[in-house]
This record gives sequence, structure tokens and C-alpha cells, in this order.
Amino acid sequence: MMDPNLTTIDFRMYAHWIVLLPMIGFLLELLIGKYWWRKGGMFATLSIFGSMIISYGCLYNVYVQHLGFWEYSWPWFYDGIVAGFVVDPLSLAMVCMVSFVSFFIHFYAIGYMSHDCAKNVYFAETALFTGSMFGLVLANNLLQLFIFWEMVGVCSYLLIGFWWHKPEAAAAGKKAWMSCAVGDCLFLLGIAMMYTIMVKQGITSEIISFNAIFQNLEHLSHEALFGVSALTIICILFMCGVLGKSAGFPLHVWIPDAMEGPTTVSALIHAATMVTAGVYLIARAFPIFLAAPNALMIVAFMGAFTALYASTLGLVVNDLKRIFAYSTISQLGYMIAILGCGAVLGVASVAYALFHLVAHAFFKALLFLSSGSVLHGIGNIRDIKEMGGLLKGMRWTGYAMLAGALALIAFPLTAGYYSKDRIIEDAYIYATHGGDLGYMVWIFLVLGVILTATYTFRAWYLAMTGEPRSYPAIHPHECGFWMKTTLVVLSFFAIFLGIITGGGKDFWHFLEETFVHETHTATGIYPGLNLHEIAHLGGNTLMHHGAHPPSWVIYLPLLLMIAGLAIATTVYYKNRIDVSKYVKKDNPLYQILWNKYYLDYLFKDIIAEKIIMTVFTFWDVLDRYVIDGVVNLLSWITIQSGQVSRKLQTGIVQNYATAVIFGVSMLMILVIMIRGG
Amino acid sequence: MVDYTALLPEGLLIVTAAIVLLAGLFITQKKILGYITLVGLLASLGLILKDWNLTATFDSAPFYGAIVVDPFSQIFGAMFLIVGVLVAIAALKAYGDNPRQDEFYSMMLLATVGMMVVAMSKDLLALFIGFELASISTYALAGFDKRDPKSIEAALKYFLIGGLSSSLMVFGISYIYGLTGSTNIDTIASVFGANPGLAATPAILLAMVMLIAGFGFKMAFVPFHMWAPDTYEGAPSIVSALLAAGSKKMGFAAAFRLFIVGLVAMKVDWYIAFMILAVVTMTVGNILAVVQTSVKRMLAYSSIAHAGYIAVVFVVVAYWNAPDSAVNLAVTGGLMHAFSHAIGKAAAFIAVAAIAYMILSKDKVDDPNHVENYDGLGKRAPMTAFLFALLLCSLAGIPPLFGFTSKFVLFLSTIEAGLLGLAIICVLNSALSVYYYAKVVMRMYWGEPKGEAFVESSTYTFVLAIAVIALIVLFFAPGDMVYQWAETAAHAVTGV
Repeated sequence: MMDPNLTTIDFRMYAHWIVLLPMIGFLLELLIGKYWWRKGGMFATLSIFGSMIISYGCLYNVYVQHLGFWEYSWPWFYDGIVAGFVVDPLSLAMVCMVSFVSFFIHFYAIGYMSHDCAKNVYFAETALFTGSMFGLVLANNLLQLFIFWEMVGVCSYLLIGFWWHKPEAAAAGKKAWMSCAVGDCLFLLGIAMMYTIMVKQGITSEIISFNAIFQNLEHLSHEALFGVSALTIICILFMCGVLGKSAGFPLHVWIPDAMEGPTTVSALIHAATMVTAGVYLIARAFPIFLAAPNALMIVAFMGAFTALYASTLGLVVNDLKRIFAYSTISQLGYMIAILGCGAVLGVASVAYALFHLVAHAFFKALLFLSSGSVLHGIGNIRDIKEMGGLLKGMRWTGYAMLAGALALIAFPLTAGYYSKDRIIEDAYIYATHGGDLGYMVWIFLVLGVILTATYTFRAWYLAMTGEPRSYPAIHPHECGFWMKTTLVVLSFFAIFLGIITGGGKDFWHFLEETFVHETHTATGIYPGLNLHEIAHLGGNTLMHHGAHPPSWVIYLPLLLMIAGLAIATTVYYKNRIDVSKYVKKDNPLYQILWNKYYLDYLFKDIIAEKIIMTVFTFWDVLDRYVIDGVVNLLSWITIQSGQVSRKLQTGIVQNYATAVIFGVSMLMILVIMIRGG
Repeated sequence: MVDYTALLPEGLLIVTAAIVLLAGLFITQKKILGYITLVGLLASLGLILKDWNLTATFDSAPFYGAIVVDPFSQIFGAMFLIVGVLVAIAALKAYGDNPRQDEFYSMMLLATVGMMVVAMSKDLLALFIGFELASISTYALAGFDKRDPKSIEAALKYFLIGGLSSSLMVFGISYIYGLTGSTNIDTIASVFGANPGLAATPAILLAMVMLIAGFGFKMAFVPFHMWAPDTYEGAPSIVSALLAAGSKKMGFAAAFRLFIVGLVAMKVDWYIAFMILAVVTMTVGNILAVVQTSVKRMLAYSSIAHAGYIAVVFVVVAYWNAPDSAVNLAVTGGLMHAFSHAIGKAAAFIAVAAIAYMILSKDKVDDPNHVENYDGLGKRAPMTAFLFALLLCSLAGIPPLFGFTSKFVLFLSTIEAGLLGLAIICVLNSALSVYYYAKVVMRMYWGEPKGEAFVESSTYTFVLAIAVIALIVLFFAPGDMVYQWAETAAHAVTGV
């Protein structure tokens, strides 16, 4: 029986505390965390627990009590920019997932970071990250979203380099920051452009708030630049931000290196939450993408390409965490691809993408935390070639990782099965409506399935079964209470999330209300959107009825998954085929994969060192001799004139009085001259 | 029966001043007077904030329409009172043991009343009385450290130039009265409006120039500024805070009241004259601030530069092509900048007082305000250095502090008015000013400490923290509290 008082609390009115509590936790942790329980961790964990309560309270209000969506805002900047929070199924799905996963990762970190001497700094930074992530998700306008977007980036940078004394960690932090900065600059440009066209269209209130953009899409779609719809350009610029943050090709290069941070950070930021911010941005701005011609096509293609591309890389990496890093990139590709399919599916694609996002958060956090437990247990060895047979020594960890791996490869009845197969089926429906490129999207996604199954179980078999291949792997030690609890909770959701939500249907129905239902505000109601009309603005036609793909399409992913699993089992469990015959330096295909398609080489050695450095050297010469010369001259003039006029300040009061009379006379003469002339 | 409750804040201050003076005769524990002063100031501030957009006129005896309470007077009142509160708290530390502190507090209270009367004046004579009340109180305050020859010199220079300026001002007022037959600002404006020829007579030119000189002395416009660096440097630092943050803003209150109404009515092209005044003032202030070696004197010149920024308001008001919206935005920006500068500059001078106090306690130096003594302050006095750095950032106009917001709105108004050249000059000047603020911050954080750590005074740190928090809160303020207040006040004074 529910406490009757609880049912009357309207948690939606406290949504801002979801953001504020972790911020307070951050301050407390930073300032006094060191002197409290276990030298850090308490404030951060408790504050996020508080956020979690409010998040689920809001979910209860909206999902069970049907109190309606809620948005509140207050004036922020001149010229009608507002700040505010929006509570709707989309943001609720995110905050509930983020708070839950973040809470349990904090819980796990109490054990995992127990030997670290700067624990309170670690927890302060993760609390700040979590608060910023909430801020990003709940933002009702682009500017606020961008500010929090940058804040999560800063936290990510700080936490990747948390063990800054390791040079690789410091370098990885820098790389993450630089890669994201490329995307973020373009994203900001997109926001500026959106502001400009809104002002140009005479929109004066709530500029760049999502609601104002959505309600005025018809006017905004008239704007064009160089013959291209301005909305399309804006969406492409947004997409650049997404590629940076959500590790899309070609800006994904920072994620594998980001694994140098603590494993809890990899789990929280680089698997479950921050990297999904890009997916969330597309979902939140979905009507804009829908109204922009061709934008969603680009989204679908980039997503599908990333999904396949990253899974090929996952096949050859030997670092346990990096394998999961590539699988993260690949899974994010799936989410972005299905959002792109929204050109045909409408808001349903947002629901599918978000369901995969949530399921992925659970099983990927689980995979990372269990690999963290492996690292913890065998002394920070990350090469799977040096593991083997760990299952004997660490049963909890081993089976938890198995649960995560099964969900990742979409094994029937696990969470990933419901979420990913739905994406592939609907990509086929998109393909039947979307032409050749649509089929390409579908083929990429389908091929990704077989590779995913292979590389995931390659990692699991090599780490957990067979004979130990190094000394520490002979006697691994199992993790303690804090970590075990978290692994069990996350395993439960990785396996059963699909079943709990009725095969995902409950989740999808809830999410499909986003955008199309009205939103309540303190002063009135924002009407729901007619997505069919908006789609027409972008030359898209939405399907009216759910179509069913032929049954072979439905079973194909399952068969491919089993095939991939069989390959992995034959090669890495039964050892029927000796891979070392193929995995050799003189195999060109292996060379390409091993060098990650030479993308790092292109970015660092060619673009960064050759092209940019050449330009910079030239600029440096120009700067040193021409621009500095001018600047120095200016400062010399300034200081000299200061020194001269300083002499006028004699300190003799008669001179001051003379100056007053002089001033009066000059003013008189001046005014009379103006008047006379 | 006229309702005089709108005058309660001023009345409260006068009563407090009287209590402090009288009690000072009997009480031996004089520190308590500081707390009484603080209570009076806070109560008065509370009353003003409660009715921030109050409008009340007093047309019958004893005021005969000479004063008016409106959002304009309220925002200036709040400004003066905030400065007063900051100075009073700092004085608890600076003069806590001084046997003459009752005089300090009562004069500070009376100076504040004078400033508030100026902001309320609708009549040139009332304005003059308020002006003189504030001036005479601050003359005495500037020389409060009477054993320090520099303080005496500062007070004397201030007094002599102040006397000259007051005489010019009364001279100007007499001409205006002679021409229009009234000292009421509204009546003057309507007479000018009805007789366009009147505004072109040489006599009115003379009157205007005299008034510009008179107000320009307080506002520290170049070339009426020369007393300011000497006085701000020589006077006790917390009195400099009162002068630079409070009494200077009184000059603006008077000038806004008279010139905006007068100029709008006269429709006369004063814009080049004000343009030259504004540009010369900000440029001279900034350039001279660059070459200063004393931080206190640097703040004095920076104060002159800020006067130049606020003078931009008069340029926009006098510019015949400026649309009404730009005029309102300019006055709004001017009020906001006066507000942010009042808080920032008052606290910056108090920070200088705190730092000088700490340096004198440990190091053997001649001039504690010399910038070299600030080396490594970030390590020696971390809280004070950090807060001072933030205050300098606000003065330089760096977000997320209110100094950015106010400067932004002010400069924006020049663009709205179509004065692009002026906007560029303002921004260049602002960029130049970052140099000398950053120089101090760099010395504090990258300089080599000259000795061991200081014991930081909690009173001073508290004042600085209040000011910094206020500047940050106002930057993020929901609904732009000050912006709306200033906008309402701007409407009240421009009437368009």
C-alpha cells in the first residue's frame, strides 16, 4: 500500500533539485568530504540518491498519476532568452536512467576507489558530472543545454586524467577534450545560427527554447543559406557536436584512449551516460531534424556506418576495456541510426533509440564494472592475452560479465534483444521506404550484429575460460561487498529490463507521447506538435500505421547473432581454428584494423603535425614580427602618453583649479563653435 | 493628510545619525555605535527594497514638489545604502578602536542622506542642499585620519576644488532661474519645450556648462577629475570607497535628473560636447591607470574611466537620431553600471584597506599600496586575494560577474543608437583596462611571496564575500532584477 501522502507530492515542482542536489554534493565533497566517512564518497552518493528519489517521483507523477508533462522557465538573458526545466517522457527516461546508474556506480566506487588518496576529489568530480548531466537532460533551451554539455565535457576531461601522473592518462584527457571541442565549436555555431534565424523571423520571446523552435518550425523552414535550408545546415552543425560527444565516426578516436581513467569513470561517463548526450540531443531536437530536408538521412547513414565501423575494430583489440569501448561506439551508432530512421517512423524512432540507450546503459555499465572488478582482482592487467580461466577465481564477476555480454549481443529475452532487434527491424521498414541508402543503413546494422557477437564473446572466452596465461591470473581475488552488490543489481536489469517493460512496449508507448502531447507550464499550456505536418516541411512522409517486416527479416539478426557466437566459440573456446595463422603482421586486413584504419595517423601525424603545424609556423612568424610589432608599438604609445599626462598631475591644487576653469572655457568654446557652425 | 512613509528610509538615517552622535557623548564602548549604524542602514535598505518601484510626490508644504520618490530615487538610494553597509562593516574593523568613531559613523550616515536627497530632488535648490550635505560630510571624512598628513592633504584638495565647483554650480542654477523663473526641473523642462529659442541663448549655454562642471567634479570627468586620484589615494581607504562608489554616483544621480530631462526638452545638439567628455574621460582614466604603481591610485583612475563609460548615457540621450528605445536602454545601462561599479569599487577599496592592514602588520614597507607588495598574495592571504581578483574581474567586465552584464547593456545601447564608433572606442577602452586589472591579479598569483602567510581579518573577508556573492547572484539573477528595476527607473526619468 502506497503511503497516501506520497501520492499527493508533485515531484515535478522539485525537478530543479535533481540538478542542484549533486551540485551541492560536489561542493560538500570538495570542501569537507575528506574529513567524513571513509574520507570521501558520502555526500556525492547521498546527493545522487536524493536526485534519484525526485526523478522516480516525477516518473510516478507523470507515468502512473498522469499529471501531465511540465515545463517551467524564467527569464534569463535580455532579448527573451529563458532558462528552465522540462519534465516529459524523454527527459524522464534519461534522468531516471542516469540517476539509477550513477547511484550504483557511486556505490561501486566506494569499494573500487577505497585505496585512492584523493577519493573526495574523485567523488566531487563525479557528482559534478552527474549534476551537469541532469542539467543537460532537463534543459528546455539550447543555450542551457550547451552550457551543461560543456560542463560534462570538462568533468570527462578531469576524470579521464584523474590519474594524471600516468602520462597516457593526461594525454588521453587532452585528446578527449580536443576531439569534443571540434564538434562543440560547430554545435555552438549551430545554436548561434538558430538564434539568428529566429530573430530574423521576428520571434521575440523564449528564443532558442525548444518549445519556441518547435512551434515556429514552419516559419523557420523558410530560411535558407546558399540555397540550402538553414535548418539542414543547423542540423548538420548539431550533428557535428553529436559526433564529438557520442563518439561518432570520425570523431570517435578519443573514446578508446579515455579508458585510461578509473574504470568507474569509463562505466559512468564513457559508456552509460555522457556519451549518450549526443543521442539525447538528436532525440530532444527531433522535430527540428524532421523539418530539415535530408538531415535525418545523414544521421541514419552516419549512425549505421559508425555501428559497423567500430565493431570491426573491436575484433582485433586486446585491451579488455577498449573492446568494450569500441562496442560502445558501435551501439551508439545503432541509436543514432534509428533516430535517422525517424524520417519514416516518426516519434517511434525516438522511443526505440531511448529504449536501446537505457538498456545499453545497464548492460554496458555492467560490462565495464565487471571488467573493473577483473582489473581490481588481477592487479590492473588489461590485456586479455594475459588473462584466462578467471571464472574459477571470480564467479560473481565472471557471470555478471556474461550477463552483460549476452545483453550486448542481443541474446533472446535479455534487454538488448528487445531493444536492438527492434532497431534492426524498423531499419528495414525505413529501408523499404527510404531507397538504396536505406538498405545500406539496414545492411550495416545487420552486419554489425554478427561482429558484435564475435568480439564480445572473444573477450569473454579469452578472459574467463581456458588456462591462465599470466602469473596474476592464476589467483585472482573476488571483489568485495560494494562492488558485488552493484554487479548483481545491474545484472538483473541487463537481463530482465526487456521483460519488465513488457518487451519494451510499455516504454515505447510512454516515450511516444513526447512532443505530440501538450506540456503544462506555470502560465499556460504548450500544445502538442503535429509531427506529420512538421515532417512535410522537411519533405518527409511519416508512416501512419505500424508496418511489419517479413519474418525472415525478424529472424535474420537472431541467426546472425548465433553465427557470430558460434564463430567465437569455435575459435576461442574450443580452439578449433588457430587464429595466429591469420593474425599476423603481413596480413593487410589485420594491419588496417590494428592501425584503426589509420585514422589516428591521419589526425595526428598528417593533419595535426604536418598541415596545422605548417600553417601555425607561418602564422607564428607573422605574429612575432608583424602583429607583435604593431601591438608593442600600441602599448608603447599608450604607456608613453600615460607617462606624459601623468606629469600634468602635479599635486598642486592651484593647477587643478586651473584645469577646472580651463575645462569650463573649452566646453563653452566647443558648444559655441558647434552652434555657430 | 500627506503620507510621508515614503520618506521613512531617509528619516531613519537622520534619526540614527542623531542617536549615534548623542550616544557617542556618553558611551565608552563606542564599537556598539557601529552596529547601531549598521542596523539603521540595513533597515533603511530593507524599506527601499520592499517598495522598489514606489512612486510618491510631495506637492504641498513643507516640500512643495521639491522632492519625489520614484524608482529612480529608490535604485540610487539602494546603491548608496549598499555602499554604506559595506563601508560600515569595514569600519567596524578599521576604526573599531578609534575614540572618534562616533563622528565617522554619523558623518557617513549624513553623507548617505545627502546623496539620497540628491537622487530624490525635483528642484535645483533641494538638489544643491543634498549635494552640499554629502560634500561637507565627505570633506570631513576624507581628513578623518587627522594625524596622517596625506589624509589632510587629500581632504584639503577635495574641499578646495569642491568649493570651486559648488560655486560654479550655483552660478549655473542662478542663470537657469533667471531665464525660466523656476528651479523646478519639470517646470524648467516645460519652459524650454514651449520656447525653443530660449535654449539657444548664450546665457543658457553658460548655465549648462557651469552645471556640467559642477556635477562633473563629483563624477570626476576629465578635466574636472584632478582632485580625485590625490584624494582617493590620500584618504583612508574605506572613505575612498565611500567617495568612489557613493558620492561619485550622487553626481550621476544629479546629472541624470537634470540633463536627461533638460536635454530631451531642449532638443539641442550637445552630443559632440558629451562625446568628447566621455571619450576623453574614459581614455585618460584608462591610460593613466596603466602607468600607476600604487594599486589604490590605479583604482582611482579606473574609477575615472568608469565615469567615462557611464557618461556614454548623456551622449546617447543628446544624440538627435537615437530612438527612444536606445535612450531608455542607455539610461538603464547607465544605472546598472553605476550599480555594479558602486558595489565592485567600494569592495575593491575595502580590499585594498584589508591588504594594506595585513602588509603593515608583517612587512616593513613605506607604501603598503605599492603593487610590488601584492606579490604572492594568493599564497599569503588566499581568501582576500581570491575575492579581490573576482572584484577586479567584475570591474574589468568579465563574466560571470555583474560588471559584465552592466557594461554589456551600456555598450549595447550605443549600438542601438547607431553610434558604432563610440561603441568601438568603449570596447577598446574596456580591453585596455583588462591590462592593469590583470597585472594585479598576475602579481597576486604568480609573484613570489615576500614573507609568511597573513592572518586574514574575518570582518574584511566577510565584506568582500558579500560583495562578490552579490555580483555573482546579480549576474545569474532570475528575471534580471536590477535590469528591470533600472528599466523602470529609466522610464521614470526619461518619461518616454
